[in-house]
Amino acid sequence: MHAADGGFPVLDQVLHALETYLRHTPQGEFLRTAKWGWPIFESLHFTGMSLLLGTVGVFDLRLLGFAKRIPIAALHRLIPIGISGFVINMLTGICFISATPDQYLFNKAFYWKVTFITIAGVNVMVFYAGTFRRLLETPPGAPPPLAARLAGGVSLLAWIGVMSAGRLLTFFRP
Amino acid sequence: MCAERLMESLYIWLEATALSTWLRESPSLWAFPFVLILHTVGLAFFVGSNIAWDVRVLGFSLGIPLDALRRYFLVMWVGFWVNAFSGVLLLIAYPTKALTNPLFYAKLALIAFGVVLALRIRREVDGLGARPDATTLARMLAAVSLACWVAVIFAGRLLAYTCTRLTVDFPC
Repeated sequence: MHAADGGFPVLDQVLHALETYLRHTPQGEFLRTAKWGWPIFESLHFTGMSLLLGTVGVFDLRLLGFAKRIPIAALHRLIPIGISGFVINMLTGICFISATPDQYLFNKAFYWKVTFITIAGVNVMVFYAGTFRRLLETPPGAPPPLAARLAGGVSLLAWIGVMSAGRLLTFFRP
Repeated sequence: MCAERLMESLYIWLEATALSTWLRESPSLWAFPFVLILHTVGLAFFVGSNIAWDVRVLGFSLGIPLDALRRYFLVMWVGFWVNAFSGVLLLIAYPTKALTNPLFYAKLALIAFGVVLALRIRREVDGLGARPDATTLARMLAAVSLACWVAVIFAGRLLAYTCTRLTVDFPC
């Protein structure tokens, strides 16, 4: 029945323990009982998503060669807005999972979503480990280095993957 | 009332069409789930590029040339048309659900208001030449625009919780 049931007894125990723990957290109880809590948190989740794609997504497109006249460093100053969107979504996301943990911990679409978030995260770390500095050193007007273009493409695809998997959650509920 | 009877027959006819039935009842992920994905990804790029534009006009990161940022209006329009298209499909799938909910009309009005605002801000900024800072009027409009897009998101999300009829025969 559960994806985690197939031959991973330890993982399955961990997931069930996590399920019990999350269900009794204050944020879980709050979101299950507050009348308009769920729709409002969902709306905040979509707002955070728009903040993220409106800054990180816009930056990714610039890396891929869109709107070349915008200086990279100036566009990069919008990124903290995207990070605030990501924080909003981590917080509201944790509340959703705490309210109905079984709907996420045993849901294939949730595994995809976490996978895509991880890909985006690793991509960001690789980008700031060196690519970003080399990117800032390229003369204005010159095309971004291949590694930077690659980072932009991976980021865009990963976030589209996150949004798609997120939308599929309801169709893969256990 | 006559208008109500007319709408009712529209719902009955629309929900019986092959496209509406397929969207609603097909178990394929390429039916309803895919349309929902399109509507969500389109929203992210549509509202997202509007947010980037609004925060820049508000005075964030003045090093971004406003005339160069105008290129992102292309992203905005792609997002808009993806969502107009996917939105019409969602409407075809559940016409009664949307059209009997007053909030649906409020959402459409808010979107129209947001698009008019975006065009008005662009016109206001176009006259500035190479100057980095926008006019006070443009900034005020950008602040209203940001609030408008958040309102659109809330209205859209709340549609699922405020509907009274799912289809002609079923309540929400």
